[in-house]
Amino acid sequence: MKFTKTHEWVESDGNIATVGVTNYAQSQLGDIVYVELPKVGMKVNAGVEAAVLESTKAAADVYSPVSGIITEVNKELTEKAELVNTSAEKSGWLFKVRLENFSELDAMMNETDYKSKNSV
Amino acid sequence: MSKTIFEKSEKGQHAYSLPKNDEEFKMFLPDDRFIRKTDISLPEISEINLTRHFNEMAKRNMGIDNTFYPLGSCTMKFNPRVNELVASFDGFTKCHPLAPAQSVQGNLEIIHELICLLSEITGFCAGTLLPNAGAQGEFVGIRMIAEYHKKLSHFEKTEIIIPDNAHGTNPATAKMAGYSIVSVRTNELGDIDLDHLKSLVSEKTAGLMLTNPNTLGLFSKVILEISKIIHSHGGLLYYDGANLNAILKFVSIESMGFDVMHINLHKTFSTPHGGGGPGSGPVLCNDKLKSFLPVPRVIMKDGKYTLINDDKDSIGKIASFHGNFGIYLRAYLYIKLHGHYGLYRIAEQAVLNANYLKKRISNLFTIPFPQHCMHEFVVQADNYLDKGIRALDIAKRLLDYGVHAPTVYFPLIIKECLLIEPTESESKVTLDQFVEALENIVQEIKENPEIVRNAPHTKPVTRLDETLAAKNPVLHA
Amino acid sequence: MDFISNQEIQNKEMLKVIGVSDVQELFVDIPEILKLKKPSIDDGMSEYEGIRLMQSLAKKNSYSEFDNYLGAGAYEHHVPAIISSICSKAEFLTAYTPYQPEASQGMLQIIFEFQSAICALTGMDVSNASLYDGASGCAEALLMSLRINKDRNKVLIADNLHPNYKAVIEQYLCNHKTKIEWIPSLADGSLDINKIEELADDQTAALLVQYPNFFGGIDDILPLNQKLKSLSVLTIVSANPMVYGLYKNADELQADIAVGDCQPFGLSLQFGGPYVGYIACKQELLRQLPGRIVGETVDTNGKRGFVLTLQAREQHIRREKATSSICTNQALAALATLIGIVWYGKNGVREIALTNYKRASYLKTNLNKIPGIKSVSQQHFFNEFVVKFDCPIEKVLKIFRENNIEPGLYLKPYFPASNQHLLVAVTETKSLSDLNRYLAIAKGLI
Repeated sequence: MKFTKTHEWVESDGNIATVGVTNYAQSQLGDIVYVELPKVGMKVNAGVEAAVLESTKAAADVYSPVSGIITEVNKELTEKAELVNTSAEKSGWLFKVRLENFSELDAMMNETDYKSKNSV
Repeated sequence: MSKTIFEKSEKGQHAYSLPKNDEEFKMFLPDDRFIRKTDISLPEISEINLTRHFNEMAKRNMGIDNTFYPLGSCTMKFNPRVNELVASFDGFTKCHPLAPAQSVQGNLEIIHELICLLSEITGFCAGTLLPNAGAQGEFVGIRMIAEYHKKLSHFEKTEIIIPDNAHGTNPATAKMAGYSIVSVRTNELGDIDLDHLKSLVSEKTAGLMLTNPNTLGLFSKVILEISKIIHSHGGLLYYDGANLNAILKFVSIESMGFDVMHINLHKTFSTPHGGGGPGSGPVLCNDKLKSFLPVPRVIMKDGKYTLINDDKDSIGKIASFHGNFGIYLRAYLYIKLHGHYGLYRIAEQAVLNANYLKKRISNLFTIPFPQHCMHEFVVQADNYLDKGIRALDIAKRLLDYGVHAPTVYFPLIIKECLLIEPTESESKVTLDQFVEALENIVQEIKENPEIVRNAPHTKPVTRLDETLAAKNPVLHA
Repeated sequence: MDFISNQEIQNKEMLKVIGVSDVQELFVDIPEILKLKKPSIDDGMSEYEGIRLMQSLAKKNSYSEFDNYLGAGAYEHHVPAIISSICSKAEFLTAYTPYQPEASQGMLQIIFEFQSAICALTGMDVSNASLYDGASGCAEALLMSLRINKDRNKVLIADNLHPNYKAVIEQYLCNHKTKIEWIPSLADGSLDINKIEELADDQTAALLVQYPNFFGGIDDILPLNQKLKSLSVLTIVSANPMVYGLYKNADELQADIAVGDCQPFGLSLQFGGPYVGYIACKQELLRQLPGRIVGETVDTNGKRGFVLTLQAREQHIRREKATSSICTNQALAALATLIGIVWYGKNGVREIALTNYKRASYLKTNLNKIPGIKSVSQQHFFNEFVVKFDCPIEKVLKIFRENNIEPGLYLKPYFPASNQHLLVAVTETKSLSDLNRYLAIAKGLI
């Protein structure tokens, strides 16, 4: 797993990367009530807003850490937005991207570095 | 549990009465093709039950007329009833907005005069009353700035600078008007960080939006320098008049270097908040911008008032008709009753009341900005976090003490903040009672924090599940 | 006069506590060069004098004594007496926005009921807490549909929309790269439906129509729906809500978004405002609705309560990414229209709408019988229609006004070709004898 400064995580399997927000991020946002996900087939660029997490008091932009095409979104979140709170780094994943540029992953933090900077 | 008016429906009952249909009207029936076929699921309710329902609703609400309402940024001053009286005169309420000018000279005179009065008060030379609220006033002002730049072919000007502690309508409005937002930092003194501002301003800067005093209740000591920096790059300065109550008649807004501003009649000029509206957001401006003002405009010609509906430089229309005319009546009378003399007293008293309160509660909270404040001030309740108590809890407990809570968590940049604005209306006794309530709550935090954490206890409901409301929205009966 | 409580004695005590000797010391942060002088003469007035002043200004309005036949987006209806007594209650008039829900259950429930009433009338699934007016409602609906159909760059708008509404729409959309295609009207003022068929494509975000249209006619847009739905074009209907008492509602018209102005229910003319805009839509579009929304929930004891909800869309949270910059809603004015709507209630809204239709039909039909006068708008209408006069319009207006009647809106300033035409509105406020008086004067013109 790799991490960004803006609290997203990426896990790649071949050329498909799964993206979500970190446990730290969800703890800051409060109860997530709604997730706005990108459309499948949409092109995303690294560092550009791809999804929005809404709580009752805040709305947070999720920036895609990688560039590519959206291949899948986590449909479970439509009914169960709270998965982002209860399992941010596993079943609360947001979307999957077919990678264009593997070097983008190299620039990110590993788990130890990220967690040393951001503890819940 | 409270029932909705829909749940109080009783079959066949009704409140209405209608003029009877004369024989001559009976033959006219609409074509069946267009007739509504579905049921209208409105309640059937008699007038006595309708009346009791809304009276019950009133019991579950609170207003300035009932309690102290120190909401920072809102200016909850007394709403004089004489304003309500005159706004109900038939001579005003029965006028159609498209009535010919010669038949509504009284209304046109009020519009014309109110703009003159507001211009005098703020130091500007022209204005419009048309925006229906402060946010719409901001939109009009920024649109005027945009047209000004367009006329001069300043196409590179694509950015508006906004302080990080600004009210949310500022960036939302600038975006709607087509600009990108650049955020400037506030320093530890609560003022604009001039160095940061200098680094942000460029040939792309169309303007800066500013509230002064700012949303922390502090007057920017560097306002004249800010004006120089922005103007030297060809930008214009927009004044958000939300905090005008602090410097009303004390300072000319125009002389601070602003080019255009909006006023909130429902804040500074006492028109009622009505539970969330209607408001009114007149815009005043200097010579540079006056040709861009929206239409219709009222002018005096050959001794009569008349309307201009078209003007080549005008940004066009912003309202269906003349804006919230009923609100102008109230603001106009308020200004005439005070005169310039009475208006001058307002700022003095508002600032005095605020500083008194601040001094009296300074031992209860963290005071991020120790200097004298203007009409409102910020305190932080972060010193109670170790007891598990947040600003929100204190706000809720105040409701049990019969006071409406101050503004909480605005501005966003101050942690656990309460923004308190007493206004000039309040007597010292009321202020002292508020202090006593806070002192009691602080005592409770020490001895029995649970009672604060679970407040309020004496209202029709306890704390509401806002997560549920957002996750599974139920938005109608 | 002023409304300040504290006087010299209290102020002295407060200054002492603060630790300054003069209130001017509290203003030291303001550069001297900016400070204005204190006025030396008291130019205020007493409450009595203020009332006299306003009475004299009201007297300068001769219009209040006229029989009003003007409509065009602002309609004279009976305002139930109960409205002013409820709306003047302190707990509503002087309350703030319900951000502290425990202290504002009254207002929150009222807004919830307003939302419900709008859904009942329009047939839509969800409504917001109101907007400024009908014109900004149309603009917000278009912006909403451009957010939803975000890759599209065109909107179709009926040219027979209210001219002021068109101008406000252009104001709000001026920065959008969106192209506005105005759908022309036919000779009788009706919408050219064929043109819509022609122009609607996969680049069209929305179609906006007015119902009844500016000329008072009912345009039948149902035949278009299949094509529009297949292209995912959103249909927006801007309507006088009273029309839904009689005619097909927005849902039956298969609209996606319903907007308009609630003024006809419970608000007097007031020279143009405050009025109350409404916006309502189908369930799936909910999250793009601008403005405040109230929702139902429960408190810690499971008791029903109401809160402002879905606030993450709004300006105070989303700031520049908000669905709209709107902060206020028309609250107190919305309360007035809610009372107006439920005063009529389930059966009454149909009755009042029908009464309007009948009286307008009577005038229209009988004007048409007078030589030299012809009704030229559509056959199917609600309570407003266009009449053409053969004799010079200046004479028409002069004679009627001499009889204290404003006979209708002269259309030439809005539509130069309509230089002999008046737009006439008739509501339940016009009795048979009023209408016969109008007819008698009309007969005497020729």
